[in-house]
Amino acid sequence: MKLLIIEDEQGLCESIQKYFTEEGNICEACNNLKVAIQKIDLYEYDCILLDIGLPDGEGFIVLEYLKSIGRDECVLIISARNSLEDKLKGLNIGADDYITKPFHLSELKARISAVFRRKSFGSTNTLIYKEVHIDLLGRSVTVNNKKIVFTKKEYDMLLYFIANKGKVISKNAIAEHLWGDEMDMIDSFDFIYTHIKNLRKKLMEVTGTDFFASVYGVGYKFI
Amino acid sequence: MKLASHYNKASIIISASMLVISGLIYYLIINYIARKGLDDDLKEEVGEFFIYVNTNHALPVAQYDENQTSYVKTNLKSYNTRFYDAPYANPNHSEVKPGRAVSGLIRFKGQNYIYTIIESRDPTEYLIQIILLVTIVLTAILLLVLIITNMYVLGGLWRPFYNILGFLKGFNIADTDTIAIANTNVDEFKDLNDAVSKMSARVVSEYQGLKTFTENASHEMMTPLSVITSKLDNLIQDERLDSDQLKEITDIYSASNKLSRLNQSLLILVKIDNDLLQDNETLDLSVVIFDKAQQFQEIIKNKNITLTIELNKLEITASKYLIDVMINNLFSNAIRHNKITAGEIKIRIAGRTLFFQNSSNQSELDNELIFNRFYKGKASDGTGLGLAILKNICNNYGFEILYKYCDELHVFEIDFN
Repeated sequence: MKLLIIEDEQGLCESIQKYFTEEGNICEACNNLKVAIQKIDLYEYDCILLDIGLPDGEGFIVLEYLKSIGRDECVLIISARNSLEDKLKGLNIGADDYITKPFHLSELKARISAVFRRKSFGSTNTLIYKEVHIDLLGRSVTVNNKKIVFTKKEYDMLLYFIANKGKVISKNAIAEHLWGDEMDMIDSFDFIYTHIKNLRKKLMEVTGTDFFASVYGVGYKFI
Repeated sequence: MKLASHYNKASIIISASMLVISGLIYYLIINYIARKGLDDDLKEEVGEFFIYVNTNHALPVAQYDENQTSYVKTNLKSYNTRFYDAPYANPNHSEVKPGRAVSGLIRFKGQNYIYTIIESRDPTEYLIQIILLVTIVLTAILLLVLIITNMYVLGGLWRPFYNILGFLKGFNIADTDTIAIANTNVDEFKDLNDAVSKMSARVVSEYQGLKTFTENASHEMMTPLSVITSKLDNLIQDERLDSDQLKEITDIYSASNKLSRLNQSLLILVKIDNDLLQDNETLDLSVVIFDKAQQFQEIIKNKNITLTIELNKLEITASKYLIDVMINNLFSNAIRHNKITAGEIKIRIAGRTLFFQNSSNQSELDNELIFNRFYKGKASDGTGLGLAILKNICNNYGFEILYKYCDELHVFEIDFN
């Protein structure tokens, strides 16, 4: 997947690049509108991460430009403003999703994966990870033709982990993804443990492999 | 008592007493003048009486005209002529009326007499009474007119003042539309009006400035926060980290997470204050609560809390986002402060009122303080803004929120009427 990151905050830009650069992914970055438009003219991307607040103007211009030249890259807006108007405006001009700062890289990756999948696979939407087959439309999971029944949250968590395979995901990120970032109760993430345990057990019963590795105190990794 | 009443009271007391005093003086003067007139009449009578005696060489009959004349023989050699009040008995009438008398000495045929002429005071008394009556009536009319004038004129004069007062009473710092308050020709009120307009405009602009500042500050903090979060997300990928380092990272995660929630809470408060969330729609509160209960079920279960829900359809018109925040905060609050073992949460909708009850190890909370910003228990790990936001949302929509403590349960009661 070829990715363009348009973000003026150097630290954030580097982090995203680092997290996304892996086998099969190419990440390019720029920090203003002018360079972004030049890059878009020169190359094609699968996905564009677009910050709204850029030093030489609002990121919406990129969206309008893409629309005017008839390109349909996936665009995910990054904004410091959790404003409904900005969100609606972005989505109306052609953005595919909208994420508000601060966010976890794992969340960003899951969102991009979802958007990218939606655009590139159309209606025959099956996600395959090793022996796990996920029918994204029917929201059902089969392993070796055997159906596993997951709760809604377990299913969401599985997709989240697959999108971030091989990465350690912090408990904070998991909690935010599943219970929303307005949840005001960080005292204990014990409930995540219970949840992961169930997911782990269900997958293990059918596949015989343990997909999860616990990373001391911080979080979990899907392998 | 109103200023106008104070003024009325003073002015009425003063004018009434002035009128009484002047009436008295008036009466005395008229009385004096009338008496003087009577005495002049009597002097003329005496003159005529002497002329009569000198020409006719006889004493006149006792009643030779309206006046009564009488003579008393005396041995006195000298007698000062004097005027005095005396009863006047009109022979035509049986009654005795007040009169004025003069008495003096007359020498007639070698014999001294004291003559007394009494004249009726009736006509002058009558005059005085009429004048007094007219004066009293006029005074009463004058007072009445004064009161009415005071009432209406003063009321009218003070109207700009009451307009300004009404404006100040209804003054809402969050309202941006400050209008010119009162039209008046009175300089004092013009000054007051100007001062109040200027002051309110300044207050509103300061407040707007503060809100903008809060909003900008919160937004500006989001980017560095996202740098911290993303750096941490990358840092934990490092397989060389040992458990101590990971523990430290976990703490940084918690802190940055808390900071970002604090920021978000501040932004929500600013948005509510600024009335920026206008996306009102009709919602069924029971559906929202049910969804949230689903969302929180794992956490509730994990904390061994028994959740009892009794919901009826309750339609409200509000921003979906704010109602989400509201129910979120109620749940977060009820879960966070619940008992460690055998806790319970009861949610009930009765009519248009929502009851959110939870058990807790804490006893009754201070009703005055719990909705204050950053008021929280020492052990609480929350932002201290949850209930403040709740209160603000309720105020924004005119819902009434109450906190009660009964049967060892903390109760939040929201009346959606």
